[in-house]
Amino acid sequence: MGPDIAPGPDVPWRKVLWERQPFPDNYVDERFLEELRRNEGIRQYRYWAVVKEAVLVGQQLSCVAIFITFWLYMEQGLLSPEVLLWTSLIVGVLGYGLHNALRPQLGTDREPRTHLADLQSAAIFLSFTFGFSPVLKTLTESVSTDTVYAMSALMLLAHLVSFPYAHPSPTGSLSLNAALFASVCLASRLPGALHTFAMLSCALLMFALWPCLLQSIRDHAIGPSAWLCVAVCLGGVGGLGSRWLGGAVLLALALVSVILLCPLLLVKLQRHKDNIQGPWDEAEIHEDLCKVPY
Amino acid sequence: VAHRADGTGERASEADTIVPTPTQKHSICMVSDFFYPNMGGVESHIYQLSQCLMEKGHKVVIATHAYGRRKGVRYLTGGLKVYYLPLQVMYNQSTATSCFHSLPLLRCVFVREAVTVVHAHSSFSAMAHDALFHAKTMGLNTVFTDHSLFGFADMSSVLTNKLLTVSLCDTTHIVCVSYTSKENTVLRAALDPRIVSVIPNAVDPTDFTPDPARAPRGRITVVVISRLVYRKGIDLLGGIIPELCLRHPDLDFLIGGEGPKRIVLEEVREKYQLHDRVRLLGALEHREVRDVLVQGHIFLNTSLTEAFCMAIVEGASCGLQVVSTRVGGIPEVLPDDLILLCDPTVRSLSDGLEAVIGRLRRGAVASPAAVHARVRSLYTWRDVAERTEKVYDRVCVEEVLPLAGRLLRLRDHCGGVAGSIFAFVAVLNFLFLLLLRWLVPDQGMDRALDASGPQALWGPPQRDPPAEEAGEGSQPQRDPWSDGAPTAEGPLV
Repeated sequence: MGPDIAPGPDVPWRKVLWERQPFPDNYVDERFLEELRRNEGIRQYRYWAVVKEAVLVGQQLSCVAIFITFWLYMEQGLLSPEVLLWTSLIVGVLGYGLHNALRPQLGTDREPRTHLADLQSAAIFLSFTFGFSPVLKTLTESVSTDTVYAMSALMLLAHLVSFPYAHPSPTGSLSLNAALFASVCLASRLPGALHTFAMLSCALLMFALWPCLLQSIRDHAIGPSAWLCVAVCLGGVGGLGSRWLGGAVLLALALVSVILLCPLLLVKLQRHKDNIQGPWDEAEIHEDLCKVPY
Repeated sequence: VAHRADGTGERASEADTIVPTPTQKHSICMVSDFFYPNMGGVESHIYQLSQCLMEKGHKVVIATHAYGRRKGVRYLTGGLKVYYLPLQVMYNQSTATSCFHSLPLLRCVFVREAVTVVHAHSSFSAMAHDALFHAKTMGLNTVFTDHSLFGFADMSSVLTNKLLTVSLCDTTHIVCVSYTSKENTVLRAALDPRIVSVIPNAVDPTDFTPDPARAPRGRITVVVISRLVYRKGIDLLGGIIPELCLRHPDLDFLIGGEGPKRIVLEEVREKYQLHDRVRLLGALEHREVRDVLVQGHIFLNTSLTEAFCMAIVEGASCGLQVVSTRVGGIPEVLPDDLILLCDPTVRSLSDGLEAVIGRLRRGAVASPAAVHARVRSLYTWRDVAERTEKVYDRVCVEEVLPLAGRLLRLRDHCGGVAGSIFAFVAVLNFLFLLLLRWLVPDQGMDRALDASGPQALWGPPQRDPPAEEAGEGSQPQRDPWSDGAPTAEGPLV
């Protein structure tokens, strides 16, 4: 890469501008691009590790499918709201117990919520939802059914897209709100106020509380949580299949592509990665500039 | 321009450094969006370079876009003709580009002025890239100077680098302002490094002279002059100020410049009650910069990225001790005894400042006059003009690719999709040029009267052969290859 005629003087080329050097301005030294670093610090992905993480995405998809299954059952009158309510309550209490049992694993740096505070929150949510369920039931009366279905589908899609998969426990506000909005839209199409209340309680349980439980199980042991997610996926496919076979097939395909196919693509395409770093990069400020003396 | 206004003594001492070999005189058109009345590094670079080239006898005109009501032709010092073309400004003084709409106007400029070399400046300038494109269609030689560093990783960088690749794949020669900038540009546009020259920027040393009497006695003042944006590391500055003001009760900060990060400094000042020790001067005119610089003892630069930092050379020229971050092209700019380089962290910059403050207290630093004397000879505009002239000489003997060759080069070099699209655009551009040539033939266009160059009607008188001078200010290291020795490259592939 150097010039054809060797420069006469024996002084080596230096990367300095203040000194006029006996080389042409367009001289290319063998030290040209010596500080270029390629693909520094990229992660090596292993297939099954990525699959274990991808199962969480599939699990959330199946959660949505299970929710829709419950709604289908309620709408067609095959599931009575009392049964759903009692089941939700029992499952909620069991889940709460499990969450508490797993919680001592976490540090004591935060002020733990007392059981009384939790009971208060639950009571407030349930009472308000029960009180407002007649209002919510008639909310979409003037809206056409197609619009309601389209809105719900869009909102559930938004929920899936914006869900914080890396750390589900503080549920992202957009995902939670989108899911609850979809559930309100769907619940308002059910026959009675009690149906609406049951649906909303179920939605709260699945979209607001289940991710917290899942996060604490993941923190505790990642292996069983992966199998739990697989169980949820199977439950979703099975449940949807019992009412709508086409949907179950679609869901199964989606799950296979998300859980098995996408990790394969990620691992295979890593070899095309070409990151360049060098002295021309903008320096990154790594420290916390809010820390100050005094 | 100061280097004209000073007496002949200055000129004579520089005169014997110019190699008196007769070279052909070029007719150069500098094109960029950024020019006077906008003030900045690129603008002053273009202006100073043009003045020095005119002094050497070349003809220089500048084409830029109209600034407000400033449209048409204007003449600056020395007969520098500037065309302010009425092209719509889009954002941040850069024009919109459609690859076609500026062809008629730029063709007029190139034909009337009988331009032989088109020299475009700055990657941010859409008009510069347009001018390169049209110049190649018209068969003129092209040179491009890049003034900034770019990243590679984010979406805007990927797109900008692709456009730069298209623009530079058949440009005859490229100039960068530092070796780091050369490496960066070669990687961005996938260039052959042999067609990239490194010609640093320069500083007018008569504009930046020291004045030790202005700096307040008994206190140590740190001067920072930069735009107050994230890229200039103002967050780091905000972390340094409280620590150092706490440890050194006689330390003051003088900060010039404006920008969105001013609020960070104001908050720091407010929080630690440093109103009397930290002064924020706001936006500074270029002529006020020297007056601010001489009020300090230390010049601090906290940039996170710089291709060639003019500010540190200006600070050193005013006799200040320079402390800077080690980023981009900064390590190449000043020798180690004139600058202290630090990592871009608060800790490292604080330690660096402490070291320089310690040296100042002990009196272990060179006097401002000594520092200025060293710096004034490091970077001069005449040196830049001489090296740029060599680039033009090299460029003028190169073949400009005909349309067929250009299309092949675009397809091969720029990738399948982008290359094909721009090859199509190049063909359309060529057809548009043919239409314009049919409507208004080249022969029918009046040639403009030269205001500079060999046939200048009212420009500065031609330089006399250099007088013999006691070589006190002369620099003995004139390089041996500037006397016509053949340059290394063969034809470009």
